[in-house]
Amino acid sequence: MTHPNASRRLFLRHAAAMASVLGPVAAPFALNLSAMGSAAAQAAPDYKALVCLFLFGGNDALNMVLPTDADSWTPYSAVRNQAPDSIALLAPGTVPNPGAAAASPARLGGVLPILPTNNQGRSFALHPVMGTLQTMFNNDKRLAILPNIGPLIMPTTKAQYAQSSYPKPASLFSHNDQQNTWQALGPEGATRGWGGRMGDMLASMNARPVFTSVSASGNAVWLAGDSVQQYQVGSNGAIRMGTDGSGRVFGSADVGAAMQRIVSATRGTHVFERDMAALGRRAIDAEVALRTALKPASDGLFGTAPSSGNYNANNDPKLQYDNPLTGGKSFNSLAQQLQIVARMIDASSAGGVQARRQVFFVSMGGFDTHDNQNRNHADLMARLAHALRYFDTTLGAMGARNAVTTFTASDFGRTFTSNGDGTDHGWGAHHFVMGGAVRGGDLYGNFPVLGAKNANNNNFDSSPNQLGNGALLPETSVDQLGATLGRWFGLSDGQLLDVFPNLANHSAGRRNLGFMA
Amino acid sequence: MLGIDVNNKDAASAVGLRRTRALRAGLVLGASLLLAACGGGGDGADGGGESLSGGGAQVVNEMPASREQAARFLTQATFGPTDADIDRVMAIGYGAWIDEQLAKPASSHRASWEAANAAIKAANPSSSAGQDQVLDSFWKQALSGEDQLRQRAVYALSQIFVISMMDDNVGGNPRAVAAWLDMLGDKGLGSYRDLLESVSRHPLMGQYLSHLRNQKADTRTGRVPDENYAREVMQLFSIGLVALNADGTVRSDGSQPLDSYGPADISGLAKVFTGWSWACPEWPDNSCFFGGSANGNSDPDRSFKSMLGYPQYHSPEEKKFLGATIPAQSQSDPQASLRVALDTLAAHPNVGPFIGKQLIQRLVTSNPSPQYVAAVASAFNGSGGDMKAMLRAVLMHPEARRVSGSSGKVREPVMRLSAYLRAFGYQSDSGNWRIGNTDSTSSALGQTPLRSPSVFNFYRPGYVPPGTEAAVGALAVPEMQIAHETTAAGYVNYMRDNIAQGVGQWNSSTSRRDLQYGFAAELALAEQPAALVEHINAKLMLGAMPAELKAEILGAIEKMAIPTLRTDAANQRQVNDAKRARVNAAIFLAVISPEYQVQK
Repeated sequence: MTHPNASRRLFLRHAAAMASVLGPVAAPFALNLSAMGSAAAQAAPDYKALVCLFLFGGNDALNMVLPTDADSWTPYSAVRNQAPDSIALLAPGTVPNPGAAAASPARLGGVLPILPTNNQGRSFALHPVMGTLQTMFNNDKRLAILPNIGPLIMPTTKAQYAQSSYPKPASLFSHNDQQNTWQALGPEGATRGWGGRMGDMLASMNARPVFTSVSASGNAVWLAGDSVQQYQVGSNGAIRMGTDGSGRVFGSADVGAAMQRIVSATRGTHVFERDMAALGRRAIDAEVALRTALKPASDGLFGTAPSSGNYNANNDPKLQYDNPLTGGKSFNSLAQQLQIVARMIDASSAGGVQARRQVFFVSMGGFDTHDNQNRNHADLMARLAHALRYFDTTLGAMGARNAVTTFTASDFGRTFTSNGDGTDHGWGAHHFVMGGAVRGGDLYGNFPVLGAKNANNNNFDSSPNQLGNGALLPETSVDQLGATLGRWFGLSDGQLLDVFPNLANHSAGRRNLGFMA
Repeated sequence: MLGIDVNNKDAASAVGLRRTRALRAGLVLGASLLLAACGGGGDGADGGGESLSGGGAQVVNEMPASREQAARFLTQATFGPTDADIDRVMAIGYGAWIDEQLAKPASSHRASWEAANAAIKAANPSSSAGQDQVLDSFWKQALSGEDQLRQRAVYALSQIFVISMMDDNVGGNPRAVAAWLDMLGDKGLGSYRDLLESVSRHPLMGQYLSHLRNQKADTRTGRVPDENYAREVMQLFSIGLVALNADGTVRSDGSQPLDSYGPADISGLAKVFTGWSWACPEWPDNSCFFGGSANGNSDPDRSFKSMLGYPQYHSPEEKKFLGATIPAQSQSDPQASLRVALDTLAAHPNVGPFIGKQLIQRLVTSNPSPQYVAAVASAFNGSGGDMKAMLRAVLMHPEARRVSGSSGKVREPVMRLSAYLRAFGYQSDSGNWRIGNTDSTSSALGQTPLRSPSVFNFYRPGYVPPGTEAAVGALAVPEMQIAHETTAAGYVNYMRDNIAQGVGQWNSSTSRRDLQYGFAAELALAEQPAALVEHINAKLMLGAMPAELKAEILGAIEKMAIPTLRTDAANQRQVNDAKRARVNAAIFLAVISPEYQVQK
């Protein structure tokens, strides 16, 4: 399914990228060029992929996307400036103070203004380390923001939230349950995620069902459907099981063959043995298919070939971010996850894969910033911004930007209040959607009112959007996000209602949030 | 049924009745244990539904019916059966073995870490022991320690009361992590109330869940207390999210599970966990609260000594949670607040079934019956909240002896390795048992003790792996939460190399990996492949290796030619290598099998 024009574009960009990396050194460039020509897989013309980027722990989105108009900024600065360690970021234009503590608001400098097409009569900014995303939002228009989104059964007002009988998601504020609810629309124990369900409905477009749903992180219920099961690919590709290049173990091809039979079947009836055997079978089969389909990470499309020796992702400049804690460069494991996703997308038309619809899962942890938030959150924001930019750039080089849509998700948002150096579990949060098919540079949904804390209790009476401790009551639901993505992905209205039963609780005009072209 | 002796209720009863001498011995040696397993003497809770006589007393089979039965019990109660352990259980029975084990002195991980640290410093004063030496101590006890049951319980508890060296504060305090293991070995086999207090006041937990240095609200500025520990101590360490019946089943209002607590309970309890910080000779100086020292004085053991309450930072406000009320305090009294909070949590009816079911899942089976959970909870409650009574009930319930097509659990990666190493009797060249970090999913176990990704452990107790037959049967398989295609291949490759080269970190002095075994007994059987497979079956698979698996292994290793030794022995090396390759292959094909990876 190679697309000649796309291939040519891919080839030229690839060559340019290689040249910029290798400079005037001609010989290795030529070698790489010839290697490239022999493996020019390219996604099918109607190929589409969804990438869920999960921020485990509950991202403090209130310090990621900030309203900077005076009505918002005044309560923000007051509520978040608490001893001993203020977590109130500083106003746009504040010059960084190089003498201040690493990753402190003063050291980071002011938040970075963004200019939404429809600004809702307010002004906005991003966390100070997210310069790459500021550009992607303001200039490239490939980044959209969904303000105040979270799991909901149906639209819910503050008054309705206070009614014990009003339908709400189960086990709000609990990490594991809300991770599950974001991914699978129910608390821990739900076994079908909405990425996997979409995969169920579109898997017939793929020659090999195993590659419909792929995790570059651990096991993720978002990827699990009725028939679709996730495939977990290592961050540096599939791991060959047991055998050497000739299929031998301990020098014996017979042992290699026996190994494959033993791992991939059970001779008994125990249900766990059968499930472990099924896993072993998938591990063997998928690795065989990917062995020839995946280009190496050092390929100039995804990484940087080392001048000598073997490729080591930790040393690849493309996978290194500006670490706000050290001031130097550090390896970004999230970028490496997105690197293998890009390699999988690149391999999607290869003989052993042949996929036209894929859902991917990547993740990073550490967002449960109850304490030491300034350092931890600044580092996480820097890694997130770098990884998204790396992925956008890589997809651009592959000619695949329009085919791939990436969105962030997280357990929950966090409290507006500070406990002195951190924040607690909340509900609604702001999230990003990135891609060439995204109508970027705008907000999709009303940005919540950030009010002042009641002096006598932990309520925020002046905001219709804030609950106790200033946690956000979501206005947009995960179902609406999923349905908007699902429509782009190719699901019908009926299929969307099947995947997202609570979508029916939103009026027809609100089921598509409009951020996809 | 895999050729396993299916020990169903009737069979167990019959054997128990016949073995009157053994039973009597068991009654003498394990009286308290039997009481525990009897559900505390018939207090109305369903004591397990395994009544032998119908008269309310429940009798468990004290003596193993076979070596395989003893080995299976030891798979639950130790880091893996050894021939010596099997002999002992065969000689004295299950209950007496438990008593004997619990009477053994605890081996101190902190002492072990400190000795390692001293040795490292002696060689190089500027370096010190770290996380690896905590793991060394863990593995040393797991593989060679006498107090197997205690250490096995410690490991199980470390997955319920979770701290993780993945966290910089925890990982940066390895001596305190070693002390944490000692604490679990001590308090974890005492009263739950004491355990909960030791966990809650441990400075590692205080750092991990951020209640160390947590301050009371500042109503003037709007600062609020950190709610982290208040939330997780309820969700994970005591009562769980939903109200439970005594048998662990969920209580509901007819359509929805009943929540055990709500946001108001968390806010109320969060106030209790304010004002706690370092042990310090200058307590309650403000500098001690923030930095652990004042006027140049600090406690060198503050990284593991129980946190102290600092009244000036403790909330004096009224605290309401779970139906309890601590009145406003004219003088803030963190100790008094904590006492009420922990008494309230420990007395909550959820604790027995909530903690008990998880202990069953860690040791015996992923899907215990409600009767099993009820018996364990009842033993716990009947003993006044004794963790030993809970542990005994877990190991002695008839359901722990029963094998079915869904009994047992997927063996977690750490236990796959430990059982393998113990079965063959690996020894450490250095004496330090340097297994090291095994985090890598692609080239190691994908699991390192005390290094879970979060306080939610490596896996959740209710995890149902999507798309599996287990899911169709609504079965939980917690350990499959860390099993995927990468770990499946990674484990096989890791074990292949372990068998061939030894296990653990490289010792430059010996030019080989630290843990070694010579395979003498196995090499002696290399030219009798069928006997070799049977030997491995007994070592690794409790004698329960299915005939088809034996045939697979046999078929493969028989094709590995062993040259005939020439009379001048000039090809001795080739012969030796061929024998070793055959032994390697036979063991390899057993440890990678699904049959080995599942503890039935």
